[in-house]
Amino acid sequence: MALLTLEGISKRYRQGEVEVQALHAIDLTVAEGEFAALVGPSGSGKTTLLNIIGGLDAPSSGQVRLDATELTALSEAALSDFRLFQLGFVFQAYNLVPVLSALENVELVMVLQGRSDHERRARAEHYLELVGLKALMHRRPAALSGGQQQRVAVARALAAGPRLVLADEPTANLDSENAEALLDSMYHLAREERITFLFSTHDPRVMARAERIITLRDGQIVSDQRPHAAATA
Amino acid sequence: MSIPTTAAAPLQRLALLLFIAWRNLWRNPARSALTISALVGGLIVVILYASLLEGMMRQMVRYATEVTTGHLQIHRQAYIDDRDLYATLPSDYLAHIEHDLPTLHVAPRLYAAALASSATTSVGALIEAVDPVREPAVTTMLSHLRRGEASLGLSASTSSAASRYNVIVGAQLAKNMGVAPGDELVLVTQAADGSIGNDLYRVAAVLKPLEPNFDRMGVLMSIEAYRQLMSLESGFHELAIKLDDIGTLATDQQQLVDELAALQRQQPLDTLGGEAVVRNWQQLTPAVADMLQLSRSMLIILGFIVVGLASLGMLNTMLMAVHERSHEFGILLAIGMKRRWLLLMVMWESLLLALVAALLGSLLGLPLAHYLATHGIDFSASMPDGYDWGGIVFEPVMRGYLEPSQVVQACVLTLLVSLLASLLPAWHTARLKPAEVLR
Repeated sequence: MALLTLEGISKRYRQGEVEVQALHAIDLTVAEGEFAALVGPSGSGKTTLLNIIGGLDAPSSGQVRLDATELTALSEAALSDFRLFQLGFVFQAYNLVPVLSALENVELVMVLQGRSDHERRARAEHYLELVGLKALMHRRPAALSGGQQQRVAVARALAAGPRLVLADEPTANLDSENAEALLDSMYHLAREERITFLFSTHDPRVMARAERIITLRDGQIVSDQRPHAAATA
Repeated sequence: MSIPTTAAAPLQRLALLLFIAWRNLWRNPARSALTISALVGGLIVVILYASLLEGMMRQMVRYATEVTTGHLQIHRQAYIDDRDLYATLPSDYLAHIEHDLPTLHVAPRLYAAALASSATTSVGALIEAVDPVREPAVTTMLSHLRRGEASLGLSASTSSAASRYNVIVGAQLAKNMGVAPGDELVLVTQAADGSIGNDLYRVAAVLKPLEPNFDRMGVLMSIEAYRQLMSLESGFHELAIKLDDIGTLATDQQQLVDELAALQRQQPLDTLGGEAVVRNWQQLTPAVADMLQLSRSMLIILGFIVVGLASLGMLNTMLMAVHERSHEFGILLAIGMKRRWLLLMVMWESLLLALVAALLGSLLGLPLAHYLATHGIDFSASMPDGYDWGGIVFEPVMRGYLEPSQVVQACVLTLLVSLLASLLPAWHTARLKPAEVLR
C-alpha cells in the first residue's frame, strides 16, 4: 500500500525574466517502510520535489497525498500540523537550534506536539542513544562535529514519531566516516521503526545503501530501480 | 495526529519559546548589551525628568495651596466679578462653618485697594487683612518672612511713641518704597462709608516673594486694623479653607456648597452681592492647574520620544538578528512550528531585552532620583530671587520628588514601546518562506 502518492506534479517558477520548469508531471508512489533515494545532478529538481512533498513549497499543478491526506488542499496552519505530526526533516547542515543542547533540540518538536515532560525526555534519550550520542546530549551544536549534528537531527526527526522522513542531501557536508555513521543510523532506525525514508543525494555511498533509487533529470523521473531486489533475484 | 497531548501543552510551548528567546538574547552579548544600554539610558532620563517635574509640580501645588490660597475659598459672586467692597459674607458664616464642618480649617480675609506712602515715595497698594490666629492654620504666609517678625498687633515702638498697628509688606513693595521693619508708612483709601480712611502703620516684617502681585503691592494687616481703616464693621470678602487631606477635595467642596445653601436658606444674602460661591484651588489658580496638566502631557511626550529613540536601536538589533537567523527560522517552520509561535518568540526576545533594561534602568535611576530629591539642583546663581513664571514663584533649588508609580509607568512605557518596535522584525519573521530560506 502506498504511503506517499504524487500525481502529475509540476513546478514552474520565475528566475528574473526567465520561467524555469523545475518539475515535469512527476508521478511517484512510495510504500510504507521504504528506504528510497532521489538522485540526480544538481538542478535536476531533487530539493524542489522534497520541498513539495514536505509541504514547504506548493506545486504549480498536480497532487501530493500522504495516505488519504491531500497536501495541496491543506491550509497553512494545517500544513504546519501535518509537518509537525507526520513528517521528519533532515537538511544538509545547520539543522539544529544553536542555543539548545542536543537533548533540547530533540525534545523541541515534541514540546510543539504537546507531549508530556516524561514522554519527551524518555523518547529523546532513547533516540539519542540509538544514534550513539546519549553521552553528548547536553552539548550544544557548536560543541558537536558536523556528523554528530546530523545524527542529532535524525534523532529529532524520529523522536517525533513521523510517518515519513525527508532528508535533503544529509551527507553532503560529511566526511566518509561520518557519512557512514549517519547512514547506519538512518538505515537501522528505518528498519527498526518501520519509518519511510526518502532522501536526495548524489553521494555514491548513500546510493549504495538505498533500497530504491529514483533518478531525476531536468525535472523528470528517468529511472526507478531497486538494486538490492535485482541483486537478490 | 493521534499523539496524546497534555493539557499544559500551550503553556509548555510558551515556556519553550521564552526559553529559546532568553538564550537567543545572549547569543551576541555585545550587541544585546549595547541595545540594553540605550534603553537603560533612555529610561534613566525619563525617570530623572519625571522626578524633577514631579518635584516642580508639587512645589507649584504647595505654593498654590499652602502659602496663600488654601484648598478652597468662598466669595460672593459680586466680589469675584468686580472686587465689590460691599460683597461680603456674613461674619456668622464663619462660626457656622467651623461648627458644622469641624474638620475644615477656615481663615477669614478682607481686601481693599489703597495708596501707600513712605517718607520718600507713594505707591499703589493692595491691603489684605487676615486673622493672625486662624490664618496659620490655613496657610503659611505669615511664616514666609524675609526680615522682621510676624506681628499684626499694636506696637508702641513708633517714632511718635503712639501705638500703631503693625503691617507686613511684600518684598518688592518694601524695596520700591525703601521701607524696612521698624519703618512707618501711611495708607490712604476710600472707606466703606465713603469717607477717606487713612492711618499710620508700623512695618513689622517683609515677606519673601509669594506671588508677583502681592510682592509688588501687598500689605498684610489684622482684620481689626482693617475694620478701623475701612469703617467696615462686619463681614468677610473671603473665607480660605484648608483640608486635612487634599484627596477629599471634591467631597469637601460639595459639603461646603450644601452648607452654604442651608445657611442662605436660614439667612438670605442681599441680592446685590450675589450668591456665595465655593471654588477649589484649581479653579482659583487655573494657570497652575493648566501648567500641571501641560507638564504631565510634556512628560508623556518626552517619554515616548526618548524611549522611542532608544527603541530604534532595539529595532535595528532585532532586524539584524532576524536576518541572520533566517535559515534557523526556516528549519523551525519546516519541523512544524507555526508562524504565530515564531512571531511570539521574536516578540519575547524584544520583551526580555526591554525587561532587563527596565530592571537595570530602575536600579540605576532610583538612586539618582533619590539624590535629586535630597540635594536638588541649585539655580540660585542664575535665578533672581522670587523668580516667577506665569505668576508661579519658583524656589532657587529645584528638588526632584521620587514617585515610585512614575518609575513603574516609565518601565511600562519602555516595555510597550519595545514591544511595538518588535512588531516589524516579528512580522518579517512570520512571513519567511521556508523553501526559500533553506536553499
